[in-house]
Amino acid sequence: MSLLSMLSSSVLTAAPVPVADVHQAFDMGWAGLILWLPLLSLIACGCCAMMRCTSKLPAWITVGSLAGSFVTAMFLYLNYEPPGDVVNIVRWIDLSWVGGGFEANISFYIDSLSLLWILFVTGLGTLIAFYASEYMETDLGSGYCRFFAGVSVFLFAMSALVLADNLVLLYLGWEGVGFASYWLIGYYYTKPEAVAAAKKAFIVNRIGDLGLALAVYLCWTSFGTVQYDELVTVIESGDYARMTDDWSVAAIPWLLMLAAFGKSAQLPLYVWLPDAMEGPTPVSALIHAATMVTAGIYLLARMYPVFLLDGDHTALHVVAWVGGLTALLAATIGMAQYDIKRIMAYSTVSQLGYMFMGLGVLTTYGAAYHVFTHAFFKAALFLTCGAVMHGFAGQLDLRKLSGLRHMKGWKITSYAMLIGCLCLAGFPFTSGYFSKDAILAEAFVTHGPGFQWLGFMALFTAGLTAYYTFRVWFRVCAGPVSYEAGDDHHGDDHGHDDGHFHPHAPRFAMNSVMAIIAIGALVAAVPYFMDSGVKGGWIADMVNDSTASEGIPAVRAAADHAADHAHGSLFGYDPHVAMYWVSGGVGFIGIAIAAWLHLFRREDAVSLRRALLSRSATAWLPRAMERKWYVDEIYHALIRAPLWVGSHVLHGIDRILVDMVLVDGTAKLPRLLGRWVQPLTNGTVHASATAMAGGVALLVIVVLLILHLGVFA
Amino acid sequence: MNIVELLIPELILLAGSVACAIVGVSTRRSMRDALPAVAIAALGAAIAWTLCCGDTLAEAAPMPALSKWVTVVGCGLGMLLVLLNAGTADRDYEAAVAAGRTKFDPLRTTRGEFYVFMLLSIGGLLLAAKARDLIWLFLALELTSLPTYVMVAMSRREQRAQEASMKYFFLGAMSAAMFLYGFALLYGATGTVELAAMHEVFTAQQGDVGMIALVGMLLAILGIAFKLAAVPMHLYAADVYEGAASSVTAFLGFVPKAAGAIAVMGLLWTMGMHADGWLLPPMVEVMLWVMAVLTMTLGNVAALLQSSAKRMLGWSSVAHSGYILIGVIAGPDHGGWAAVLVYLLGYGLSNTGAFAALAALRRGGNEVESLEDLSGLAERHRGAAWTLAISSGSLLGFPPLLGFWGKLLLFIAGVSSGHIVLVVIAGLNSAISAAYYLKLVALPLMGASTARSREVEPLSVQWPRIAGLIAAAAVILLPIGLPAIAACAAAVLVN
Amino acid sequence: MSDLLHMTLASAMTEADLARFLVLSSLLFAVGLCGFLTRRNLIVMFLCTELMFQAAVIAFVAFGRWHWDFSGQVFVIFILTIAAAEAALALALVVLLHRRRNTLDADTWTELHE
Repeated sequence: MSLLSMLSSSVLTAAPVPVADVHQAFDMGWAGLILWLPLLSLIACGCCAMMRCTSKLPAWITVGSLAGSFVTAMFLYLNYEPPGDVVNIVRWIDLSWVGGGFEANISFYIDSLSLLWILFVTGLGTLIAFYASEYMETDLGSGYCRFFAGVSVFLFAMSALVLADNLVLLYLGWEGVGFASYWLIGYYYTKPEAVAAAKKAFIVNRIGDLGLALAVYLCWTSFGTVQYDELVTVIESGDYARMTDDWSVAAIPWLLMLAAFGKSAQLPLYVWLPDAMEGPTPVSALIHAATMVTAGIYLLARMYPVFLLDGDHTALHVVAWVGGLTALLAATIGMAQYDIKRIMAYSTVSQLGYMFMGLGVLTTYGAAYHVFTHAFFKAALFLTCGAVMHGFAGQLDLRKLSGLRHMKGWKITSYAMLIGCLCLAGFPFTSGYFSKDAILAEAFVTHGPGFQWLGFMALFTAGLTAYYTFRVWFRVCAGPVSYEAGDDHHGDDHGHDDGHFHPHAPRFAMNSVMAIIAIGALVAAVPYFMDSGVKGGWIADMVNDSTASEGIPAVRAAADHAADHAHGSLFGYDPHVAMYWVSGGVGFIGIAIAAWLHLFRREDAVSLRRALLSRSATAWLPRAMERKWYVDEIYHALIRAPLWVGSHVLHGIDRILVDMVLVDGTAKLPRLLGRWVQPLTNGTVHASATAMAGGVALLVIVVLLILHLGVFA
Repeated sequence: MNIVELLIPELILLAGSVACAIVGVSTRRSMRDALPAVAIAALGAAIAWTLCCGDTLAEAAPMPALSKWVTVVGCGLGMLLVLLNAGTADRDYEAAVAAGRTKFDPLRTTRGEFYVFMLLSIGGLLLAAKARDLIWLFLALELTSLPTYVMVAMSRREQRAQEASMKYFFLGAMSAAMFLYGFALLYGATGTVELAAMHEVFTAQQGDVGMIALVGMLLAILGIAFKLAAVPMHLYAADVYEGAASSVTAFLGFVPKAAGAIAVMGLLWTMGMHADGWLLPPMVEVMLWVMAVLTMTLGNVAALLQSSAKRMLGWSSVAHSGYILIGVIAGPDHGGWAAVLVYLLGYGLSNTGAFAALAALRRGGNEVESLEDLSGLAERHRGAAWTLAISSGSLLGFPPLLGFWGKLLLFIAGVSSGHIVLVVIAGLNSAISAAYYLKLVALPLMGASTARSREVEPLSVQWPRIAGLIAAAAVILLPIGLPAIAACAAAVLVN
Repeated sequence: MSDLLHMTLASAMTEADLARFLVLSSLLFAVGLCGFLTRRNLIVMFLCTELMFQAAVIAFVAFGRWHWDFSGQVFVIFILTIAAAEAALALALVVLLHRRRNTLDADTWTELHE
């Protein structure tokens, strides 16, 4: 049955999923530069570390090579013609000669989706590396080299992940970015929190990686290939070894989901991302906000045909709900935090939730657009937070900072943050406004279990988002000037002598990058209006020519038309139109509340909290929100504590049974045996000869015995 | 193509060995110092001829294309082994004279025969790969072995070397008699000495092979197992490997073993290759199976107990024969023999690297043997320490080194031919072997220096060090070309 | 004389004849092996391995006659060559060992052992 429904969902809807040309474009070997340049930069940074370089050389090498990658990606984009190319770089794994026919090369799958991703990954990577050249300057020396080497590894792995033409190379990149993230979160390895955060990120990601590994394996066993072009062809043809109702094919979307939820920090695996903010801020901006955490969305978009195999779209419904719930949960936690970087972290989790919701409600276009805009405005937000942290000796508490925009040298920071906040809050006509609306509206359009409620929930979350975003801005940048220094003096190289703290404002590199990215965040709204025949403009184009083409407006409209579905509605209007007003209104309400509580009457915020806490009926709410809904505690009780007990029990067993009995016993056995056969090995040639002859005789007897007993089938 | 043309690589080696013998008696030191270069040139010429104009004799030989592979790999590794031996014996002698341990003897300064023997032995290996009949095979195996007996005896000035040579020679003679008797019975059962004709006879018997032929095959395999150092013919291995100089031990670990493996495959081909696939008579298969299990287990367990690095490597080379037998049993159909060829390459390189690291070090004028000498080696002799670590890692089968891929191919072949139990046992053995190989990795790199290990100094000749580094580099780099290598090895078995 | 040769060649070899040769050959092999395992004198030990080689030689000749095929006898010539080469090697080794220890007893060499 499911085969039939697959037909109805994918063949009826529109043109088949575009597949990149199978002809292998050898003349585009230069595309490999995207991969090799960061690798070269890694090696160069390593050399710098070995030569004890104390200049900013590693930063310039990294920025240069990343810029090279970006330019190469740009050339790829300019040369791009639908439906794209497969570019062979290096023949890697080809096991055809053992008879399996398993092929996975280092090849690029150049279609619009991978181009979209690689463009903003390399572009933002270059900018943020440039920003970091100033931000990290207090660590000049081996730490500086280590940092930029990590950034290079990350860009290498991320490019491999995005451009891979097969799941194995994607997996390599997937693990690579995980490793780079571990490397960079644990950058301040003398800080116990940073080490713990790095471990947490690594371990939680392992759970997701297990899902990806199994999914790759099942893809190979079920479809006989791990290369996207062949995969899509096989799925389209419906001609694979097992039918869709077979568990192994049905399991693939769920495993992919597990992988994506781990990497992109969704329920229940989101817990690592807020802690990951222990890393240097440029890392948070690049890896843990703009690029790496969107790998999960990329994965699902790339493997979208597998999700559509099941005609009921059950897996997608789960994706939508998990995304929506994560968005709400993270937003409520974000409301109650005081550390601005943590707020941004929770807001990242929340926005990633929106993206998954977009995938789930069948708008890959909305998800991809939100990934694109989010990359800019969230990078801008993180970079400005980083500038604050850099200037105020690690101060991140929004209660201890105020009126930044009135201070000398902090204008760019303040207004870049304002732009970021406006986009994040979905202020009308900013980029975030359009991309979030695309997702929200689709929740009302698409039919699914409770998608209406999901839509309202997401709208409510949008209001919360506007509130907590502007809570940060009004607290930190607006209001009267006042500040306290943080307790982290590593960034403070002057001002100690007179016992008085002087914040130092960002200089050229940081200011220029913040400005560029903030402008980028605004400009990211433009693609929405770059009409090219498909509603949704440039981004829709970028999704249209790829495996995720199912989820763009035009195709969806055609599908609804063909399947004679009633178009969903919001308050009786077309959701796409109504959403402009509704979400704009919700955003205004959120901003207004934030302005009231955190700009005009800050004391009201304190008294509100006190009022809530004083009543036992409501005290749980702020407490739970401030304690992040006790999720870490729950995980501790459910997972870590049982594991602790179990591992100690196993340790005891290991000590007594394995070490004492098995290992020591086994180690003694050969000596014991050796003593028995000592006379045979006393060193004379006769002993050896006798043992050989006797061994031959014994061997023949054993063989005859085995044959006689017939144990050897 | 006539048969003389086929033998040109061997003839080149023969010419090279004659040249070595002549150069070796030169009175001028500079001439004698050029001996390794002459030997390496001869080996290089043999490779070059094979690659450029070497052709294969399509008819008769079981695996006509095998000779090309063996020539290239055998001569290539041979070059490395010659390099490893270059000058060590001379310098040892000079050091001994200088230290007053021995008197100067003009006769002893001539070491040309050393290279002659090496070239001849490698020639035997090449001939074994081309063998078309039992006479040829017998001569090839003897040509491989006889020079090695002398090499062991003259490798060091210690009595231990002579003892090793005595044991090696006498036990070798016994095993030669054994496989010769096996050949006689095979001849009796089939009435022909030509492998192809024997194959026809056995094929005509439809798998119902007579008792005489079976006993002949078992005796032949057991006799050749001596060259492989497989149980029960392995008992000489640890003693001989310990007694000989490390540079010669590296030679013993590869050349006779490769010749033995190739000879066993050639013999089994006559009995196991049927029109409908690879099937050995149950008796032969069971014997090989038991041999494989015992060889790897005994080799690894015994290696675990050693305190001498050299003896440890000696026992471990016994264990490797067990792994090789898995591929031999799996047969040509399931990629087993191709895996054996790749494995031999990886094992040969790693083994050469490991022994080269030992050969490049001296303690008080003697070879470095005990594990304690190696502790903290990286602090003083980084090259040797890393060579040893990388080679041991490869012998252990640590990815992504060459040894890992060879082992992986063997295991794949074992599984796909249905010998899952055997592969599981081999996997367990690999785990056991990790215990001692990791010692060889960890001690030099991470161990603390002891008073004893501080006395270790480098050998005055740098060639062993260079040979070791080349071997280690090859172990690291060759996996890049693994698909090509494996494809070549697989192509060998397709006529 | 030529009559005798002709008769010998022409007369068929019976299975019983072959069996006798093989029994002789296997006895010779066994004797050689036992001698190798029990005697301690290096020269005698070497002679015992020669006995084992000759056992194979007899088997080859017998089988060659049985199959009416000359390759068995050709093999024998090569075996003799190899045996000669081994003898040369063995004697050189024996001389070397004797010089070192002044004895031909193989079991005095026990420095190498587990």
